[in-house]
Amino acid sequence: MLKKLLIKSIQVREISIVILLIAFFLLVGSINQEFIKIDSITLLVSGSIILLVMAIGQSFVLLTANIDVSVGSIMGISAAVCGSLLVSGLNVWVVVITVMAVGAFIGLINGLGVSYLRIPSIIMTLGMLGIVRGAMLLYTEGMWIEAIPNDYKRLSNTEILFLPLPIWIGFVVMIIAYLFLTKTKKGRYFYAVGDNEEGARLVGIPVRLIKVLAFIISGMSASIAGLVFVMNIGFVPNTTGSGIELEVIAAAVLGGVSLSGGLGTVVGAGLGAVFFTVINQSLVYMKIPAYWNSAISGFLLLMIVIGDTKFQSYLKRKSRHHVKEKSNDGGEEVRASDSKNKAIP
Amino acid sequence: MIRKIRPFLKWELFLICFFIAEIVIFSMITPGFLDFNNLIFSLNDFVYIGLAAIPMTFVIITGGIDVSVGSVMGLSSITVGVLWMNGLNVWIAMLIALIICIIAGLFNGLLVAYTEVQPMVITLGTMFLFSGIALVISGGSSATGYEGISGFPASFVQLANGELLGLPNSFWLLVTAVTFFSLLLHLTKYGRQVYLVGMNIKSARYSGISTKWILISTYMLAGFGGGISGIILTSYFSSARSDLGSTAILPVITAVVLGGTSILGGRGTIIGTAVASVIVGIMNYGLQMSGLTSEQTTLIVGIMLVLAVFMRQSNWQFIKKTRKLASLGKAKTDA
Repeated sequence: MLKKLLIKSIQVREISIVILLIAFFLLVGSINQEFIKIDSITLLVSGSIILLVMAIGQSFVLLTANIDVSVGSIMGISAAVCGSLLVSGLNVWVVVITVMAVGAFIGLINGLGVSYLRIPSIIMTLGMLGIVRGAMLLYTEGMWIEAIPNDYKRLSNTEILFLPLPIWIGFVVMIIAYLFLTKTKKGRYFYAVGDNEEGARLVGIPVRLIKVLAFIISGMSASIAGLVFVMNIGFVPNTTGSGIELEVIAAAVLGGVSLSGGLGTVVGAGLGAVFFTVINQSLVYMKIPAYWNSAISGFLLLMIVIGDTKFQSYLKRKSRHHVKEKSNDGGEEVRASDSKNKAIP
Repeated sequence: MIRKIRPFLKWELFLICFFIAEIVIFSMITPGFLDFNNLIFSLNDFVYIGLAAIPMTFVIITGGIDVSVGSVMGLSSITVGVLWMNGLNVWIAMLIALIICIIAGLFNGLLVAYTEVQPMVITLGTMFLFSGIALVISGGSSATGYEGISGFPASFVQLANGELLGLPNSFWLLVTAVTFFSLLLHLTKYGRQVYLVGMNIKSARYSGISTKWILISTYMLAGFGGGISGIILTSYFSSARSDLGSTAILPVITAVVLGGTSILGGRGTIIGTAVASVIVGIMNYGLQMSGLTSEQTTLIVGIMLVLAVFMRQSNWQFIKKTRKLASLGKAKTDA
C-alpha cells in the first residue's frame, strides 16, 4: 500500500515536484533560517512569475509536440513596446492591450509557419527569435528605455489580500490555463493533437487551428511576462529576455511537460518554474557564490529528467510484464502488431 | 540514383547562386565592399561559425541537435585562459581544452544514447551545466566577466589573425575542416552509418550498426567543433571569457539548416554547411558595413533561416507528392 502510494506520488510529477520543493526548502532553511521566512518566500515566488507565466504558455506549444524558442525575444519586444508607450503617456489599459496584441501577432506568424507551411517548429521559432530580437533593437535603436512612470512601477508592490500584484497575475494565468486545458473541449484538443496528430485529424479535430492557437497563447504569455518585467525592474535594457527561452523550456520540462507532446499540465510547468527560480535564489542563502547558478540548475535538470524517464520506463516494463503474465501470448501478439504499426511511417 | 542526388545538387547550386547574388548586392549598396582582401580577411570574423557548424552537421544528420555548443565554446575558451594563466604552455593548454570539450561531447552523447530523453532536453541541461562550469572556473580563478583573461603570447594570437601564403589562417582552417569532415561523412563507412542512423535508427540497429556508438561519436565531434571554435575565438579576441559563445547557437544552427541538412535527420552535406556558414558570415559582415549593428543583423539571419527551410521543405513535399502519385499510378496500371 505504502509502496503503491510512493510510486503514485513519483508518477504524478506535480506531487514529486512539491515534495522536492519542500525538501529543498527544509534543507536550505536548516542552513539559513532567513530562507523560510514568509517574506523571502513571497519574494521568491514573485520573482518567479515571469518564468512561471512563460512556462505555462510554453506548455500549450509543447503539448502539441512543438517547441517555441522565440519567447525570449517576444518578451523583450513586449517590454520595449510597453516601456515606450508608457513613456509617451498612454493609458495603462491601452498599453496592456497593445502589448498583448504584439505577442499574439508574433505567435500567429509562428503558428501559421508551423502548421500551414510545415516548417519544423524549432527552425521557425529559432528564426523568429532572431527576427524579433533584431526588430526590437531597430525599434529601440539599441537604447535602454528608462523613465517609466512611477504609477506603473508601483503596481509591482501593490498588495491585494496580502499578496503583491505579480503573484496574482501568475495565479490568475495559471487558473485560466488550467481550467481551459482540463474543462473545455478545445483544451482537450491540445493533448489529442500532441498525442497522435494523425488520429486527431481523423477524428475531426482542427489540428492546424489548435497549433496556431498554441503559438498565439505562448506569444501572449511572453507579452504578459514582458509587462511584469517592466513593472518589476522599472526600465528596459536592450537585452531583455535574451536567453530566457531555454530557461522557460527547462522549467516546463522540469515540471513534467514532455517535449514529445501530449503529456504534462500547466500546474506542473508552473511548479517547475518556481523550483527553477528557487534553486537559483537559494544559493545566496547558502552563501555559495552566484556563479554556481547555472551549473547547479543544469545538473538538477538533467538528474530529474533522466531519473524520471528511467523511472517511467521501469514502470512500463513492469506493467508490461504484468500484462504478459495475465494473458500469456495474447499480450505478446498485441505488442508485435503494435510495433509493426509504428514501423510503417 | 541521379534522381536521389538531384535535390542535393540543386540546393548546393542554389546556395552558390545566393552567395554570388549576396556579394553583388552588397557591393552595390556599399562601395568598397568588393575588395578581395577585405572579403577574404572578413573570414576571420566568422570562421568560428563554420568550425562549429561543420561537425554539428553530423549530429543533426542523426536526427539530434546540440544546443550546448555555445557553452562548450565558452568552456574551451576559459580552460585555455585559466591553464595558461597558471603557467602552462599555451599549446598544451589548448590541447587539454580540446580534450575537455570532447569529453563534454562524450557526456552529451552518452546521455542521448543511453536514456530515452530527447537530445534537445539533454543538451539544454548540459548547456546550463557547461556554461555553469565555465563560469565556475572563471569565477574560481577570479577572472572578471567582461575583461576576461588577456595577454596571450603573440604566436597564439596569430593562430586566428595571422596569414599563410597570402591567405588568412582562418581560410586554411576552414578548408582543412571541410576536407577532413567531408571525407569522413561522404567517403567512409562511418559516414554512411551516420546517415542510416538518421534515416531509420531501427533498421540501422537491425543491420548490425552500433547505433549507440554512432550517436555518441557524433556528439563528440560536435564537442570537438565547439572546442576548436572557442579556441579560435579566444585567439581572435586575444582574450578568454566564459561567455564567448553564448550567442553562437542561432548562427550555427542556421548555417547547418541553410546548408540543406534536414532537422529531421538523414540528409545533409558538409560542403552545404560550409557554404551556408560563409553566406551567413558575409551577410553579417555586409550588413554591418552598411551600418547595422551586429545584433540588428539577427533580423535578416532569422528571416534567411525560415525562408531557407520553407523553400527546402516545400520542394521536398512536392517531390514526395509526385513520387507518391507516380507509385499510385504504377500500382493502378499493375492492377
